[in-house]
Amino acid sequence: MLEVAGLRKVYDVAGRTVAALDGVTLALPGGSFTAVVGRSGCGKTTLLRLLAGLEDPTGGAIRRSSDRGEPIGVVFQEPRLMPWLTVNDNVALGVAGRLEERAAAERVGSALALVGLGAFAAARPDQLSGGMAQRVAVARALAIGAEIVLMDEPFGALDAFTRRTLQRELVEIWRAKRPTILFVTHDVEEAALLAERVLVMEAGRLIDDVAVDRPHPRSPIDPALLAVRERVLAAVTGAPEPVLA
Amino acid sequence: MIRIINSTRPWPGGRPGPARRPPLPFGPVVFAALVAAWWLASVLELAPPFLLPAPDVVFATARDLALDGTLFRHLQVSLLRIAAGFLGATAIALPLAVAFGLWPAFARSLDPLVEFLRHVPPLALIPLLILWLGIGEAQKLAVIILAAFFPIFLNAGTGIAQCDPKLVEVGRVCGLGRAAIVRRIVLPAALPAILVGLRLGFGYSWRALVGAELIAASSGLGYMIVNAENLARTDIVIVGILAIGLLGVALDRVGRILARRMAPWIRSELDLGRA
Ligand SMILES: Nc1ncnc2c1ncn2[C@@H]1O[C@H](COP(=O)(O)OP(=O)(O)OP(=O)(O)O)[C@@H](O)[C@H]1O
Ligand SMILES: [Mg+2]
Repeated sequence: MLEVAGLRKVYDVAGRTVAALDGVTLALPGGSFTAVVGRSGCGKTTLLRLLAGLEDPTGGAIRRSSDRGEPIGVVFQEPRLMPWLTVNDNVALGVAGRLEERAAAERVGSALALVGLGAFAAARPDQLSGGMAQRVAVARALAIGAEIVLMDEPFGALDAFTRRTLQRELVEIWRAKRPTILFVTHDVEEAALLAERVLVMEAGRLIDDVAVDRPHPRSPIDPALLAVRERVLAAVTGAPEPVLA
Repeated sequence: MIRIINSTRPWPGGRPGPARRPPLPFGPVVFAALVAAWWLASVLELAPPFLLPAPDVVFATARDLALDGTLFRHLQVSLLRIAAGFLGATAIALPLAVAFGLWPAFARSLDPLVEFLRHVPPLALIPLLILWLGIGEAQKLAVIILAAFFPIFLNAGTGIAQCDPKLVEVGRVCGLGRAAIVRRIVLPAALPAILVGLRLGFGYSWRALVGAELIAASSGLGYMIVNAENLARTDIVIVGILAIGLLGVALDRVGRILARRMAPWIRSELDLGRA
């Protein structure tokens, strides 16, 4: 369980203060799959960076039910692989020093197998395609063994084919291992296709919370998903422009 | 209508691409031409043999010096000095560059001093070093360290400063501590720049050493040259110059091969710098 109450983050942009997050309250139950959607600049990445501990909030609180200092898995919008490490060692970065050698190798191996890249363990990042690199990034986040995985538009830069494949893989992984996933995207269809719940964000606030109560595997033309999509789009379009605080 | 032609024939009417000719070995040709000109000049006695000995005379001298061990004794002395000085410079410059990168306040306070020293050529410090350290090994070591320090330090500093903060964030979300992030992310990311610095530093220190040996030494390649000058043995002077140049080229080659081994992910877009 990950809880956030009244979370605020204020930035200084060109002499003016911008409230990137303006009082966000939400709870992510263990094993849930939540998507956050919203237009560009509404604060999605900021929310994720605060949850990952990469930045400190200006106000509000973040609480984890079992805070024994376990790291949180993060998949960034770009793969962010270390060019000097093999695929295997990139994935191993997440378990470095926290597991004994045998257990670490096992964890890395199974994470790579999960994303279908077992055969590429010895490859270097510059020998991978963009989609493969992103899968390595997913494997790295999973290998950490985190109960919570944050993903920031992880498939945003991929072509439609690869994206669909990775979406399916992600759902499979989630169903098999049940991590708590927070999935940021600006693709409303993707959010409805993957998540149990879609949070709609606008100008630093959550303005809607839509449950998607459909079993996997889902079809993108399922009328229930189309209804979710319409509702989310209506909520965002009806929202005011981002404000300067 | 569009027809899809499955063919490896060139596009109809298209020009064939330029045929790939192997590049002419201009480098060796130029070198050979130079030796030929030298040989011609000495045969025609364009210069007195005392000033420009013939290539075969120089070659014979080189063989004699090699056989009686003189050349290798001086070579060995110079190489040992270079090895010690270069390692010393690296051992000072790299940790200092890391410290500068980690603690900006530390960097700001030392920056004026570093800037000042950077603009003083090591050879200009030799008189002072001789007064302080004498003409022994300590002075040679100091000259080499001064010459090699700045390229190594400055390039490493640039590499560390330019480490992608996005990669550092990956280290943080993977739960790595500060020291682990430096060791596993910042330093490897800076390695290409560090290698450039090492290569430049090596070239600088090699030249500075020979300079120091010319001024005050009783052994080493530089000494061999200046001693031969006093004896009016131009042939030995030329042998010394050739040895210095060839050795520099050879050591640089070795360095480049080592660099490629250490950093196979570096593509040719970065030529690892040039001294
Ligand atoms: N480091 C920063 N410094 C200053 N302002 C920032 C910073 N990061 C984000 N902001 C501001 O915070 C607001 C929200 O940015 P954020 O990156 O969270 O948006 P986003 O929803 O992820 O957008 P996108 O969909 O385009 O990625 C923007 O107005 C942005 O200008
Ligand atoms: Mg974003």
